[in-house]
Amino acid sequence: MIALSDVHVTFNPGTAIETRALRGLDLFIPEGQFVTVIGSNGAGKSTLLGVLSGEVGLQSGQVTIDGVDVSDWSTPRRAGLVARVFQDPMAGTCESLTIEENMALASARGRRRGLACAVTSGMQERFEERLSSLGLGLDKRLKDRMGLLSGGQRQAITLVMATLNPMKILLLDEHTAALDPKTAAFVMTLTDSIVRQSGLTTLMVTHSMRQALDYGDRTVMLHEGRVVLDVAGDERKGLAVEDLLHMFSTVRGEELSDDALLLS
Amino acid sequence: MSEIAFIGAIESGLLFGLVALGVFISFRILEFPDLTVDGSLPLGASVAAAAIVQGCDPYLATALAMVAGAGAGLVTAWLNVRLKILNLLASILTMTALYSINLRIMGRPNQALLGDRTIFSDCESWGLPYYWTSLIVYLIAILAVVALLVWFLNSETGLAMRATGANARMARAQGINTGRMTLLGMAISNALVALAGALFAQSQGGADVSMGLGVIVTGLAAVILGETVLPARLLVLAVLACVIGAILYRLAVAVALNASFIGLQAQDLKLITAVLVAAAMTLPSVKGRLSARRGGAK
Repeated sequence: MIALSDVHVTFNPGTAIETRALRGLDLFIPEGQFVTVIGSNGAGKSTLLGVLSGEVGLQSGQVTIDGVDVSDWSTPRRAGLVARVFQDPMAGTCESLTIEENMALASARGRRRGLACAVTSGMQERFEERLSSLGLGLDKRLKDRMGLLSGGQRQAITLVMATLNPMKILLLDEHTAALDPKTAAFVMTLTDSIVRQSGLTTLMVTHSMRQALDYGDRTVMLHEGRVVLDVAGDERKGLAVEDLLHMFSTVRGEELSDDALLLS
Repeated sequence: MSEIAFIGAIESGLLFGLVALGVFISFRILEFPDLTVDGSLPLGASVAAAAIVQGCDPYLATALAMVAGAGAGLVTAWLNVRLKILNLLASILTMTALYSINLRIMGRPNQALLGDRTIFSDCESWGLPYYWTSLIVYLIAILAVVALLVWFLNSETGLAMRATGANARMARAQGINTGRMTLLGMAISNALVALAGALFAQSQGGADVSMGLGVIVTGLAAVILGETVLPARLLVLAVLACVIGAILYRLAVAVALNASFIGLQAQDLKLITAVLVAAAMTLPSVKGRLSARRGGAK
């Protein structure tokens, strides 16, 4: 259960380049819900992810996870509660480390790290098992450096890494945007099956309205740092991109004019 | 080259192997360009020499030197992590400050260790020629450090440290306190360099405040040379490559100084150092170009 109440975030306050990224954002995500988030450039999508992961500090407001106020927690401190997949396939893994070392790092997420051996044979078996379910043949390449893999392979492994340990919320930051269409579709199908299988509470930011409506249980649209649309359940079923656009202009009294959002 | 000159080169190669391991941790594992090394080597020498002259046990004096080196590394890391000073600049600040501190520790620019009990004088009872004794002591020290370092880097904390240098944002998202890892890594790195300084002072019979000049260049050259001759992915080999690089480097210097036909003398050492480093740094790209040409010819 995730709750954001009246969250304000301002970058470079008091300067000429002051940006009010979030302006009183409220969002409540019950346990096990898969929420997709859309919005044009500058709507506050990335900032919202940053606020949840702890990378962005709040100006005011509150973030609670399972009733615990984590507003002032640093990213490493929150790591036990929050798992994350970045947009850039290079960002979620260390390319100079091997696949098993990367997975070992992730399997210690939110745990104290001591002087025990980082990669044990028990772990290797578990990693192999998880990787073989991807069907990419990566289970035979545990000792390969991450840098040898393609963007799609790395993103698939990052997804597996994120789910090695329990979490309170999974954050997906346009994680298919940097991939070619075929690979993007594969990673998205994989995402859906992993999220559904474990009933993960998930927040997926996407640039594609189609993707936002096709996946998940609920779609939230951000505009100028606030939630302007929030559809779920029956209302969301059978909703087309045009309907979403229409709803937006009714709510805001203005037309949405972000080509990237309309075309993808 | 005489046997003594050859063994001397191997010996200083092993000594600089310790420095290279320290440089490997800062430059390669943490991606932290650290010049503190130029100050922490004489720091280790000063602390060990001052303690031994005061009648301290040489093993304890060496341990004290390592603690002092770790402290110097912590200061540099703290300046960077907490005070947000650019990493290179932070290390230059510590290095500069250490010059005064080293003078304070010894109370003068140099401290001789003549007739004092040292780790090396303890080993004279083995009955071997002196140059063999120090070689064996260095060999034991470096093997112990290599084994400990490889074990550490393969541990959970060591892996977290490697992730900190490789991808800090990812490391934080996995719950790794990257600031703390930088502090720890820099402490270990400079402790190793101070250990080299402490051993150097004891085998050479004294410490000098200016003995650290250009040490970072030598250490870096050893790391790069090692990577070039032994490009290894496996951690054990990558660590050993630093030591091998240091030995090769000192051998090259010894050959250059001993080949009378070139006409180089001892005062040309720093010049040779710079030339060798420049050569070592261009080697990887030359090697890459050569293999690319070979690939194109197929």
